Amino acid sequence: MLEKEILKEFQDIVGVENIDDGEVMTNAYAYNWCIEFVNYMEDKEPIPFSPIPKAVILPSSTEEVQKVVQLCNKYRIKFKAQSTGLGPWNQPSTDNSVILDLRRMNKIVKIDVKNLYAVVEPYVSGAQLQAETMKYGLNIHMPGAGPMASTLASHTSMAGPGFTSPQTGYSARNVLGTEWVLPTGEILRLGSFGLKNEPDWYSGDGPGPSLRGIMRGWVGTKSGLGVFTRVATKLFPYPCGTEYVLKGHSPIYDFKIPDFIRAYVVDCKNFKHLEKSFIRIEEEEIALICSHMSSYAVMAIFSYTLESLMDKIAFGSMKSPLVIVIAARTKREFDYKQKVMDYLMKELNLINIIGTKYEPESLFYAECLRTNLGYHGFIATGGFQSAKGQCDSAALCLRAEMKNKPLKQKYIEKGVIANDFGEGAWMTSYESGHFFHMEAPTFFDQTNVESVKGMGEYMEESNQMDLLKHLGVPFFIEGDHLHNHWGPHLMNYHNWLRKIKKIFDPNGVSDSGFYISGNEGDV
Amino acid sequence: MNNDNFLQNLTKICGSQNISQDPKDLKDYSKDLSFLKGKSPLCIVWPSKSQDVTKIVKLANNLKFFVIPVSSDSKFKHHGDSLPKKDNCIILNLSRMNKVLSIDRKNRVVMVEPGVTFDQLVPILKKKGLRLLLPLNPTASRSVLSTALEREPITIPKYHWDSSDPLLCTEIVFGTGDLFRTGTAAGPGTIKQQQKMGQAQVNPMGPTQFSPFRVIQGAQGSLGVVTWVTLKLELLPSTQKVYHFQSDNIQDILDLQYELLKYRLCDELVILNNINLACLLKQNQQEISELVRTLEKWNLIYIISGRGPLAKDRISYLEGDIDEIIAELGLNFSEPNVEISDKEILHFLNEPCGKPWRMRLKGAYQDILFLTSFEKIPKFISLMEANYEKEFGVYIQPINQGTSYHVEFDLHYEPENDNVVKTIKEKILDIGNRLMDSGAFFSRPYGIWAKDVFSHHSAETIDALKKVKKIFDPNNVLNPGVLCFDD
Repeated sequence: MLEKEILKEFQDIVGVENIDDGEVMTNAYAYNWCIEFVNYMEDKEPIPFSPIPKAVILPSSTEEVQKVVQLCNKYRIKFKAQSTGLGPWNQPSTDNSVILDLRRMNKIVKIDVKNLYAVVEPYVSGAQLQAETMKYGLNIHMPGAGPMASTLASHTSMAGPGFTSPQTGYSARNVLGTEWVLPTGEILRLGSFGLKNEPDWYSGDGPGPSLRGIMRGWVGTKSGLGVFTRVATKLFPYPCGTEYVLKGHSPIYDFKIPDFIRAYVVDCKNFKHLEKSFIRIEEEEIALICSHMSSYAVMAIFSYTLESLMDKIAFGSMKSPLVIVIAARTKREFDYKQKVMDYLMKELNLINIIGTKYEPESLFYAECLRTNLGYHGFIATGGFQSAKGQCDSAALCLRAEMKNKPLKQKYIEKGVIANDFGEGAWMTSYESGHFFHMEAPTFFDQTNVESVKGMGEYMEESNQMDLLKHLGVPFFIEGDHLHNHWGPHLMNYHNWLRKIKKIFDPNGVSDSGFYISGNEGDV
Repeated sequence: MNNDNFLQNLTKICGSQNISQDPKDLKDYSKDLSFLKGKSPLCIVWPSKSQDVTKIVKLANNLKFFVIPVSSDSKFKHHGDSLPKKDNCIILNLSRMNKVLSIDRKNRVVMVEPGVTFDQLVPILKKKGLRLLLPLNPTASRSVLSTALEREPITIPKYHWDSSDPLLCTEIVFGTGDLFRTGTAAGPGTIKQQQKMGQAQVNPMGPTQFSPFRVIQGAQGSLGVVTWVTLKLELLPSTQKVYHFQSDNIQDILDLQYELLKYRLCDELVILNNINLACLLKQNQQEISELVRTLEKWNLIYIISGRGPLAKDRISYLEGDIDEIIAELGLNFSEPNVEISDKEILHFLNEPCGKPWRMRLKGAYQDILFLTSFEKIPKFISLMEANYEKEFGVYIQPINQGTSYHVEFDLHYEPENDNVVKTIKEKILDIGNRLMDSGAFFSRPYGIWAKDVFSHHSAETIDALKKVKKIFDPNNVLNPGVLCFDD
């Protein structure tokens, strides 16, 4: 709870009804998905709760966020901002904190059709934004987390791979003008939005150096360096006709499949064959989706219940599957893309399972267009998290996957993580094959302490293998401990990151639990 | 500063053959083709490797001298960003670091040192079936690396996925003298160890939660000295079809290019007025003037392409879709009265030029360049026309996949005429300010405008940039006087 006088000052900013420091609310906000194994990895008790915040505050505007942040500086209280709030990264690292739940900031500020971008507030979900941009024949980049996740959070603060990344890229690379409440309370407007005269959102870089490089990296700062209140993100051509008709009931809605969309699921002989196929297909710039998934993951993306997952066991025998979806706006474009695929199938000696051995539910196509395939990861155990997350060439990603297999099998044999034959992987191309990323989704039982511990240990061992074998940097290198461990192996980057934190957050109020502290250990 | 000590140390690092105090050299580096006047540097130093650069920057921190990095020996420098603006500067000339370190066809990436020039790299890549993402007809002797560092627009906007493209990973010596690698090049492992594992240094982001390559880009050498970069490449098409539409109405041209880019239908796409197009196509004033008269005011040039056995199929589908779009828009464009061959157009889009094409009309030019949005372009053209009574060149380049536009006004003039030079100088400052007042975003603030640019931006932006400078170059040894760092 907050001291009465401090509570009053926060209430004066957001209104009495928009702050709660009562036990019920603060305890509820201490829960999140996957926090238990994060606790374990940080040598804490593996419970599904973070430290309990002193209060939960719901600001409604940038100015209110600014005032809340200024007050946090005044009383040296840390703040943790969250948008749609998925995952442990939304949790405070100390009980001397308040949560800024940004759900009241839920407006689509602008869809700029002529300049191909949209401006959103934190609580606008991908689904909400996509539904609006589709009206103009435009699409958004949605992260693998799914359409319910905040567009702003993915672009400014988290990671950003998505199933449509061959055409829509990576969140961090799609950022334009941004409004950012710095940890000290100043409002920084990036690029053309920082102009005194006629500020606008079309560019996030300059004048001179681009502060986007401070704002985030391959992954974001997860509220460790202030609060993002509005962001402009690039829009892309919608890949096919925009009619989107769903009928029926959950979990298997009936979707009217657009005229010009087609899926391919092929099995490559080995990783070498997979790499070649992946690169060749992407060089042709035709794919909306081009993802390598483990055979288990292929089973999952076509399943809507645990029972139906078991029905797909035949997919489990695939060696190195590749899932490709092509889509087109016109028949001419569609015919051309199909012709290219026919040509490539012959060149690469591939056979499409779709249409020959298996026909997916129509809903599969809706989920491709809505980037909703990721949620199938929850079907097996309800709990899953990805190890790995490196991003560079296809060869590096596949090597990391290959080397991870025996490690994963070791933990499967221990009985602490689910049996996916050790293969669990999702790998996508970006920007028509200019780079690739791979992560290794792993299923565990969040309600079983041994499983949680096993997951934590597996993650640690997997990270360490990447470090020692030069297999790139996984997603979740965050917090002092991991930065200090990895920094010396990566040009001592942690020292630079720490300098950034120190100079932009001199009072250390922006919770650095998933970032880095200005002074080591000052989390 | 003890001059002897300073020279002895530099000699120890680079060898006496790589240091010059020849007055002619010093004079050459104290001026460029901008209106800024530079001071005479103390010397010019040619390092041969990253370690030399590290040692020199550390020495600068110890002995309190300034370092101005210069990537190439090109004499065509127009923006004053590498002129010494203070006493006690040395020129760090990186032109002898000119190796193409690797070309990776599979991952479509090349690694180059700062001294690699366009005329050096373009033909090598072509032989391997690859192409650089080029700025508009770049000068042959210019550094490929510094062009990317300056965020110069590229002519294929559909491949401009991020404003930072084609720049990927970098090796930098920060102002502190610390060597750093950005993106996935940071590690773990050395570049060799990474490559052994299959890594190709194609992810520019990171390491982890920051992306220092972005702050180095656009910094005009004031935060770090870049000693190599990796650059994104594309595959060379086997078939290209050139389109050239003309109109006296800029809006019609803008409307068509919007549709082409929205659906990613073409590769190269540039908008030029008759003067700049003529400058690109012809070599001397007379030819240029003749062509200007026959061209309509606004010209849209775009290329569609295909590759491999299905190249024709691709061209055919693109032609069909584009025809349909043009019909839907109901626009009428004229074709040029004069014959301009596809080869001529492809030449200036695919090849570097010996002498800057913007100099061909009158021997000299000054450019006013900024970013803006689709709908504001006509307003800025009108503003320019209202305030500059003579003819001028215009180049409009959609960037970042059509989310913004590089607009460039080129003022051509005779450099020998002092009165003209004086007028041009006054005009570019005056017009620059008028444009800024009207919301033009000078994202690359070079010498003559730098102060005005920053006065048109929020105090928070300047404060944040100064914090960044304090982190990476706390003693202000790198290129002092540029951007907003010396106020």
